[in-house]
Amino acid sequence: MFAYTIKRLLTLIPTLFAASVLVFAFIHLIPGDPVAVLLGDTATPEEIAALSAEMGLDEPIYIQYAYWLGNVMQGDLGRSIFFQEPVTRVIADGAETSILLALMTMVWIVVLGVPIGVIAATRHGGWIDQIASGGAMFAASIPTFWLGLYLILIFAVTLGWLPSSGFPSVFDDGGLANLRYLLLPSLTLAAPNSALIIRLVRASMLDVQREDHVRTARAKGLHPAKVALKHVFRNALVAVAAAFGFTFAALISEAVVTETVFSLPGIGRLVVESILRRDYPVIQGVVLVIVCLYLVINLIVDLAYAWLDPRVSLK
Amino acid sequence: MTRRSPLLVAAATGLALLLGGTAFADGTMRYASIGEPPSLDQQVGTSDLSTTIAHHVFEGLYTFNGDYAPVPLLASGDTISDDGKTIVISLRDNVTFHNGKHMTSEDVVASLKRWGEFGSRGGLLFANVESVEATGEYEVTLKLTAPFGPWKNLLGFINGGAAIYPSEIAADAGGEPIAPENYIGTGPYKFVEWRPNRHIELARFEDYTSPPGDADGYGGARNAEFDTLQFVPVPDVGTRVSGLRAGDYDYAESIPGDLFEELDADEGVRTILNGGPIFGLVFMNSKEGPLKENFALRRAIQTAIDKVPALQVAIGPEKLWRANGSFLPEGNVWYTDSGIDNFSRGDAEAARAMAEEAGYAGEPIKLMVSTNYPFHYDSAVVYTKQLAEAGFNIDLQVYDWATLIQKRSQPDQWDLFVTHHGFVPDPILISVLNENYPGWWSTPEITELKAAFTATADPAKRQEIWADIQGLIYEQVPTMKTGDVYTYNIASPDLEGLESSTLVWPHFWNVSK
Repeated sequence: MFAYTIKRLLTLIPTLFAASVLVFAFIHLIPGDPVAVLLGDTATPEEIAALSAEMGLDEPIYIQYAYWLGNVMQGDLGRSIFFQEPVTRVIADGAETSILLALMTMVWIVVLGVPIGVIAATRHGGWIDQIASGGAMFAASIPTFWLGLYLILIFAVTLGWLPSSGFPSVFDDGGLANLRYLLLPSLTLAAPNSALIIRLVRASMLDVQREDHVRTARAKGLHPAKVALKHVFRNALVAVAAAFGFTFAALISEAVVTETVFSLPGIGRLVVESILRRDYPVIQGVVLVIVCLYLVINLIVDLAYAWLDPRVSLK
Repeated sequence: MTRRSPLLVAAATGLALLLGGTAFADGTMRYASIGEPPSLDQQVGTSDLSTTIAHHVFEGLYTFNGDYAPVPLLASGDTISDDGKTIVISLRDNVTFHNGKHMTSEDVVASLKRWGEFGSRGGLLFANVESVEATGEYEVTLKLTAPFGPWKNLLGFINGGAAIYPSEIAADAGGEPIAPENYIGTGPYKFVEWRPNRHIELARFEDYTSPPGDADGYGGARNAEFDTLQFVPVPDVGTRVSGLRAGDYDYAESIPGDLFEELDADEGVRTILNGGPIFGLVFMNSKEGPLKENFALRRAIQTAIDKVPALQVAIGPEKLWRANGSFLPEGNVWYTDSGIDNFSRGDAEAARAMAEEAGYAGEPIKLMVSTNYPFHYDSAVVYTKQLAEAGFNIDLQVYDWATLIQKRSQPDQWDLFVTHHGFVPDPILISVLNENYPGWWSTPEITELKAAFTATADPAKRQEIWADIQGLIYEQVPTMKTGDVYTYNIASPDLEGLESSTLVWPHFWNVSK
């Protein structure tokens, strides 16, 4: 497994290189000028050109790429044109929020989605299954911005129990109690994602329930709960593991609507706003990090497959 | 006690901690902004959001009182030679920068020189400056090539203006915006940190020495009552409103017109109109295309448009807009009715006849607009319909703002584009008078009038010339004003010291809770 992991990690290099070329090319192909955004509406084309030259943004694109790549090889993702801060610092600040938000959402998904999926599968066709499946469809259909705004209205404005928005770092005053800022956003994100997990767990368990080893276990007189958890659930998890992995990655990179509604300083919002500002170094840095994240999660999922199902070999 | 009790206690404690109160200390004022400002460096940017934050940190030689008249801030007075070409500015001798350095004329000269070379609005004054020198520890002398009437207004307008930095920072900065670690000013609050998408934090500057006199507009006494000001980017307007109602924010900016009546009637929220209205502008291309030098065709376009329906659609409640053709609002010293009969005629038939007479044969006219500003887009949609009714073939091109500002610098890409302009205390600062601004209006008539406008410091004469300039704008139509928009913000009723409307940008010195 060690050799396999090293081999997979080495394949990250060409993938990251290809991703960096594509991102660099695409972002520079979009019309728009970061210096014009920075200087504001009254800046004249001459002023924009002068500052672009001072910042090296008037160089041919391949020269700019070579500079950027050379710096990246030394661990320097550059400096944000907009924030005038190192990109690594800007991303690190956003990553804390995104990772904690994704983890809290995953907790909701595991706590809500998995048990409901298991119960729905074991009560297949009954009223509990109907309610669970209907509820999952409903949760998957709710727009996150709508759910988020209503949760703010109920829990922040009316009841005053939770903060409406923002997220001070857990390293700031308040420490871990600052996680309360993420309760409503994580619940908002968990609703549609739990629905998917409920349906996936239910479908996987129903598939496994029809297999011979489950029939044998039942025939041997094992307790139905033991059959469901030990023989059905564990095997059903093989299919669910991949979904968990990619849901986690998506929660980090694609939570932009929730991050906007709750004003969270996360990665999704950072990348979207950086595109609007044409803050090239931040866009390139964030995309590189997200590509890395997906590749690593992909690797972890593959390793998890082998652990969950010994028939899967790592070659 | 059972075995589970400690777990239950821990869970209950955690829950209580998580659901604990979210109220913020009275010493902190939290401001919900629409987003992140581009940079707090006031010399090289003109973002209003940037100034809203930065004018607590940076100060200029002058500022504006409640009547929009320039009054000394870091300066203590000035004298002008009889020929109007030598201006001696004396400085306050009790000003300290946030890094502990004492402010002298050396800092002022370095700051003015950088602003003159790289500043957004500095070129306007420095095109007429022969030299700027320190002629004493607390005295600076500006020598002009010719008398320049608006010099004090330009030095007082901090947005894109002559903020005073320590000499070593100003000298090293060049044209790039100053980095956050060098945000050193003289204001009542000092810069603490900028955490992207989280907040910009300012703290009271304990060694601040307030300018003399009673508070009046941005002039007079400045007392920092809060320990900390936090400017938090909250892009979603629903969250800004809910956050203020929940007590998470004390002040929230840029609330849409459709919520005005509800919020104005809510006792738990205070609405604050911005005193200096912004105004939309539709620029016309004077360099290329069918509108170049074809003033008759431009007047036909102007005649086709009725501004009122666009304001109703784009802004909403009538309290938030005025169909005012004067570039500066009624009550302002620069208000004039010169040319305003042509502001909003909305006469499709007359426009059609004028266009035919101007030689228009249905060629496409490219109108660029951005969806980043909904009121730009809404107005453009209404204008497109009105222009179509008058026989114009409008090609509405919709972009994001970053694309639009790049395309508008290319004369072959557009014929009309929609933007807006912030309130300015002197008409010379309006972008249409900058011949390098996209639109590139530089006819002999405006060049002559502009020269006369800046050459005199006599207020009455300047007002008279400004009326002529506004008349010429309606005649040559380099741009069309779309009307005044009074944006509004909301505040917690707990804030004390806020005025009923802001001068231009809200300020939080002399404010407490």
